[in-house]
Amino acid sequence: MLKKNLLALPVALAVAGVAYAGSGMLPEDALEMQIKKTNSSSYLTQSPQNLMMMPDNPAWEVVEAGEALFKQPRGPKNASLEKCDFGKGPGVLEGAHAELPRYFADTGKVMDLDTRLVHCMKTLQGFTNDDPAIKQKHGSKTDIMKLQAYIGSKSSGMPWNPPMNHPLEKAMRDAGEVMFYRRSATMDFSCATCHTQTGKRIRASVLPSVYDAADWTKAISWPAHRTSHEQVRSSQHRVLECLWQMRYPDIKNGSDASIAMISFWTDAARGEPVIVPDLKR
Amino acid sequence: MFNKTPIAAVAAASLLLIAGGCSATNAGKTEAAKPMAMAAAAPAAPAKVDYTKMSAKDLAEYLIFEAEGYDLKQATQEGTSGRDRLVQDEIQKACSLMKGQEVSDKDREKVMALAAASIKYPEGGIKLGDWKKGRELAWSGFGYRTAHNPDDHSKREAGGNCYNCHQLATDRTGGDIGPSLTGYGKNRGASEDMLKYTYDVIYNPHTYFACTNMPRMGAVGVLNHKQIADIMAYLFDPASPVNK
Repeated sequence: MLKKNLLALPVALAVAGVAYAGSGMLPEDALEMQIKKTNSSSYLTQSPQNLMMMPDNPAWEVVEAGEALFKQPRGPKNASLEKCDFGKGPGVLEGAHAELPRYFADTGKVMDLDTRLVHCMKTLQGFTNDDPAIKQKHGSKTDIMKLQAYIGSKSSGMPWNPPMNHPLEKAMRDAGEVMFYRRSATMDFSCATCHTQTGKRIRASVLPSVYDAADWTKAISWPAHRTSHEQVRSSQHRVLECLWQMRYPDIKNGSDASIAMISFWTDAARGEPVIVPDLKR
Repeated sequence: MFNKTPIAAVAAASLLLIAGGCSATNAGKTEAAKPMAMAAAAPAAPAKVDYTKMSAKDLAEYLIFEAEGYDLKQATQEGTSGRDRLVQDEIQKACSLMKGQEVSDKDREKVMALAAASIKYPEGGIKLGDWKKGRELAWSGFGYRTAHNPDDHSKREAGGNCYNCHQLATDRTGGDIGPSLTGYGKNRGASEDMLKYTYDVIYNPHTYFACTNMPRMGAVGVLNHKQIADIMAYLFDPASPVNK
């Protein structure tokens, strides 16, 4: 990584200026920018192997599969997802993930990438909850994961900017904040137990702090390929898995509780670049 | 398991329902006055509530319990439910401190008193067990995880999770959310007071450190007396790698 990225760094920094104008940046370049910005934080640099593999991230195959799926007429209504509105207008994917979760007037709800995608698959394509296309949530082979990886990649390098104009967006973010600090279950853990100090470790793993936005953006940049799972994973999956370790019961996929948490954690990365698809342990 | 009385749990649930009911756009006086009736109706037809009219705290509780954001019926290893895992006891409530918030003097006293009162000592006093067993218990992060992949306690006992947060012997990598305990017994000695202090901290660390991040391994029943004795041997035994 070092050799390649040392050469790539000036390019990455040059691109950085453009990225904030809305044209995006490769995830490896966005990450390199954060590493530079944090003076090589221990969280961002903990896996040299993953940094080196970023340009060859297996998630790119999933992104490509997602693009094909997105454009393909599917479902009972034989429609593509090209008219799906992720918040920036029908079919606009550039920067859409960077502004999720957000309020959608057509449902009256704050929705994250996962729930908004499912909404479009139902309304535009006619899928139902029982169809495998919607029912199967996790793993690189699922439609949901392929589509999320594709849509998410269209925000790479753009700053997280979930809107807080609608009162519901603020309410969900604030409830998510309370949940972040709320201790319960067998071990009295809250999210804050592990994610409020910079550079601390669980065993050998360096933890990201919610107070350190430059690190935090990588923590919340999903979809990402997880090398330990050999799968691309979503934000919803991250919530699920953290809570499993915390000895909580299953959080329901797409529940307002899960979206509140994702709203808070996305807000905490505001202004820092999206790194999608990322590569994580 | 969490020292919660059934009465307290019912009271907490009722309060939540009242909080939800007051915020319900269509909630009349009669509904608010009948929390139990609402409880029966809630799963089938959740009341339409205006999230923006609720405090962040009330909304969080609503999303967890009333909106059933979690699988509240999920079975747990201790024979309770997902709901029981999520209902906070007094210590959890007092210690859910937001950014920049510190525990008040009143809460600190309350937490320490509750913690001290929770400690049960083994018959025959605090003794050291087998440090080799303690070493494996200190390393193991197994146990009490439920969700999508529940830990099966019939196949393996729950561990102490010590290495998640502490460095102990240096032959394995520990975390650093808690202080390093390398050389614990060698540095502190094994006086009766030190043994009692260590037992108390493992059993319920809020006795000395109100609102610490550390779990209450004895008080909540993750570790029994024998397991605590084994982990203490790992900390104190001169032959233990912790003290080498």
